[in-house]
Amino acid sequence: MLEIKDLVGGYDSLQILNGASLKVGRGQIVALLGGNGTGKSTLLKATSGLLKPWSGSITFDGERIDGLRPDRIVRRGLVQVTQGKETFPGMTVEENLLLGAYVVAGRAERAASIERVYGYFPILKQKRNQLSGSLSGGQLQMVCIGRGLMSSPKMIMLDEPSAALAPQVVLDIFRTIHRISRDGMTVLLVEQNVRMALLLAEYGYVIKDGVMQIEGPAEQLFHDDNVRLSYLGGTVANREGQL
Amino acid sequence: MDYFVDLLIIGLSVGMVYALVALGISLIYSGLDIVHFAHGEIYMIGAFIGLMLFQRLALPYVPTLLLAIVLTGLLGVVLERLFYRRLTRTGGGYTVAGMGMIIAGFGMSIVLQNIAFLLWGAKPLPFPVPFGRPLEVGNLTLPMSYVWIVAAALVLMVGLNGVLKKTRIGLAMRAVAYNKDIAYLSGVNVPMMISLIFGVGCALGAAAGVLIGPINYVQVLMGIGVLIKAFAAAVVGGFGSLPGAILGGLLVGVVESLGAGFISGTYKDVYAFILLIVVLLLKPSGILGVEAKMKA
Repeated sequence: MLEIKDLVGGYDSLQILNGASLKVGRGQIVALLGGNGTGKSTLLKATSGLLKPWSGSITFDGERIDGLRPDRIVRRGLVQVTQGKETFPGMTVEENLLLGAYVVAGRAERAASIERVYGYFPILKQKRNQLSGSLSGGQLQMVCIGRGLMSSPKMIMLDEPSAALAPQVVLDIFRTIHRISRDGMTVLLVEQNVRMALLLAEYGYVIKDGVMQIEGPAEQLFHDDNVRLSYLGGTVANREGQL
Repeated sequence: MDYFVDLLIIGLSVGMVYALVALGISLIYSGLDIVHFAHGEIYMIGAFIGLMLFQRLALPYVPTLLLAIVLTGLLGVVLERLFYRRLTRTGGGYTVAGMGMIIAGFGMSIVLQNIAFLLWGAKPLPFPVPFGRPLEVGNLTLPMSYVWIVAAALVLMVGLNGVLKKTRIGLAMRAVAYNKDIAYLSGVNVPMMISLIFGVGCALGAAAGVLIGPINYVQVLMGIGVLIKAFAAAVVGGFGSLPGAILGGLLVGVVESLGAGFISGTYKDVYAFILLIVVLLLKPSGILGVEAKMKA
């Protein structure tokens, strides 16, 4: 579904991606792991079109999308949910969501999309007429993910959906991501919460200094000594917890 | 008392004109992150376009107003595409290119003035619209030109509010004004929306120009004074806030009119700035202003 090959890019003259490659198959959840400043968000921005890649290729659904404008990429069915829970605080929850369906022309389809999102996040339906500025962190994250789903994309890229949220809320969000994936969505999950991400994903990549350092099935990464030492605190031996 | 009410009505109608120009300035500021210093000239060109339509094509006043709004809006779209866009960064950015934009605005103002001078000459031209008999309300006599200004401006403001609040395009315009990256990632064609915002801002300026025409002369240098008043109005109301621009415009108009009537007409232009200074001292973000959002 998505194939990134030898991607090089960055901001102005600061090179951050040094030939990163990554593949996400249709219907998969793939985790992209790595610490701060390793190029995770840069990779997503280059894929969604917010940054123009310097070289390398990005193929989505069989077609090259590198260098396209972000709204064109959204129209092709690839949506990025940025980190930082950015909403439009002066708009209601419903307006925020409707904005996500901007590329959807039909009123009936937009209404169907919003009901689907309310199905995933019932709390948003209760708060539909509140300004999003009044929501809690977890609810803001729900608005962001919901907005990403509104255009009924083929694939969604989530940038640290668990960041700065309470553990119980993180669990809720991850359960919903699991449901969204089960309903047929392809997901690229960028996370620092390595354990949760690997529990959810089928395949994982670890990025460092703008290139993929380790990759493999999630199960294998979970037991990989390097990953464990670097990101899991070194002592976790068994997969615990069920989603 | 009647004298006071007369001054109030004059102030409110002139204030509506300031409010329309300030609305355009605020809209462009919120959408493009630029303070458009050539907006007075857009207002002037709008007035001239209206005058040409009215006199040369002998159109009635309402079609004149609407057509001038549309034509000036299109002119704005062209100006944004050809000039201002080159100064806003490509890609997702579109943030302030700082001084460059301000200088470009001043440059644009000089260029537009000289083009207008070449086309229409330096002489003030009358814009005679036969509005008919003044409206009698109780023992008040309202000249129809003032009634027109207030009515037309109200219709435009309500219309703008409706578009921004109720339509998909309006939602996208608000999104672009607040956060261009998120608007982009929601599938909004951000460059096109920016052109549209600029065009609408210019259209509002043109409306103000065509509305003030019948009570003032139309001339090349008419933009400077209005720009400064509208700028003061936008700051008084809270820069970037659309309701603030309207409130600020009305306040500036009324204060100016009352000051000229009760204190001295000689210092007519001073009162707006006294108001500006007082507001800035008491509430630096403006009456309806929120704290300046950080522009990334």
